[in-house]
Amino acid sequence: MTRDRRIALWGLSVPLGLLVLWQVLALTQSTPLFPGPVKVGVAIWSNAPVILSELGITLLRAAAGFALACVTMIPLGIFLGRVRILGVILSPLMDMLATLPPPAIIPLVMLFAGTGDWAKIVIITYAAAVPLVMNSYEASLSIHPMLSRVARSLNLSRIETMRLIDWPSSLPMIVTGARLAIASSLLVSVTSEMLLSTNGIGTYLQRSQETFRVDAGLAGIAFISLAGLIVNAGMARLERRWLFWHYRDKTGD
Amino acid sequence: MNAALQFAERFRVPLCLLLVFGIWQAVHLAGVVPEKFFPSMPEIVGAFWRMLSDGTVITAWVTTFLRALIGLIAAASLGIALAILSDLSPVLSRGIRYVSDILQPIPPAAFVPMAVFMLGLGTKLYAFVIILVTVWPPYLNGVTALQAVSPVQVNTGRMFGLSRSQILWQVRLPAALPEIFTGIRYAATISLIAVIVSEMLAGRDGIGFMIYKKVYAMRSSDVFALMFLVACSGVLLNGLVALLRRALTGWHMRMMERPE
Repeated sequence: MTRDRRIALWGLSVPLGLLVLWQVLALTQSTPLFPGPVKVGVAIWSNAPVILSELGITLLRAAAGFALACVTMIPLGIFLGRVRILGVILSPLMDMLATLPPPAIIPLVMLFAGTGDWAKIVIITYAAAVPLVMNSYEASLSIHPMLSRVARSLNLSRIETMRLIDWPSSLPMIVTGARLAIASSLLVSVTSEMLLSTNGIGTYLQRSQETFRVDAGLAGIAFISLAGLIVNAGMARLERRWLFWHYRDKTGD
Repeated sequence: MNAALQFAERFRVPLCLLLVFGIWQAVHLAGVVPEKFFPSMPEIVGAFWRMLSDGTVITAWVTTFLRALIGLIAAASLGIALAILSDLSPVLSRGIRYVSDILQPIPPAAFVPMAVFMLGLGTKLYAFVIILVTVWPPYLNGVTALQAVSPVQVNTGRMFGLSRSQILWQVRLPAALPEIFTGIRYAATISLIAVIVSEMLAGRDGIGFMIYKKVYAMRSSDVFALMFLVACSGVLLNGLVALLRRALTGWHMRMMERPE
């Protein structure tokens, strides 16, 4: 325990060392466009309220897009896994879409839907959809055949099989997909705001650039990182709570 | 049912293309979406051909693809180096993990506007943005894989009298390579994203900038054609990674395929 704590403390020297290096670099560059960590710290302090409210808008949109993707894409993935012929035919399309970087569709959505809230939510939904549908499809394909037989001997209908057998047993893999989907929806929500600027943290960053406030912009980035850390930690905790049976089985044998 | 399934399995690529093509043309003909935004398939192919023959798209594509490829190679090497460093000392490992925890959630797009001031608009900007976001998957997979090498293999190495560094280079690193490549494959996608987004936000050249320009000119068939090109680049980049993986870790794949 004490050894762990000592390692954790000494480990802090790496990020701190990088900060010092950055500060030294900033001091040698005598231009306001290369602020050091001290200046950024001041900017964090003074801009926190603005950044937090903009970040709130961004996170809300990311959550909306992610939720929409979960509600539609997880059932679709399971459905494609069960109705084999459709899944087989559509799998090349899924592979193709998986390699298309989500931010690349931003301009396209802009053509159709303009720059409003809905355009961004559509983009986020798409970005979250790809990992979700692929993982739930793969998961429902790799279900143990015994479980399908159990379903048949219990005389479950197709819908009941999907709901009572496929859904829980593919949950661990779907959660992996969800983790990727969350990362990708955060990424795309910031990016979409930078390209279709109206409001949100992405627009804030863009505005900081236009007003030459590099320190304020870096402060915004720090808050994005913090939000990402919190979301990831929350996800890990939920996973442990909901999927304890999965991990218990894994460690059991 | 089974015969149909086999048929579908066999011809899934043409079937899929046919289906997409059919639905696309049906939507186009039904006219639910204004034609201006939703060109027909032949128009898109025509637009692609036009851009291909006047050469603009080729130079842009080469620029973008080279950036993504070089960035990926640099990031993957750096990621593996960081993983090896973390393996050497627990303190270093913890320290690098802090940095990766902080930097990993930040999207590439967020770095661009600030990095423009600090690094200018040139190669340095692309190198910085790509490496900063692409380095993490190879690094994280590398750390886990180096830890997970089976003790039997390590002990065998020790029994042959290999030193600690020999065990690292000749036993543990090769054993970890397959999993590191999984990370590199994921990184390939990220590197392409980073390049295209940087080009959209700060670029004067490359595919990302071209897409953005076409959108403002309302050339929707050009935009669709370029999107297709981007997807193909993703496939190509993944293919290159797969090729390298086969060359370096072919033994692992053959081992996995061989029945017990």
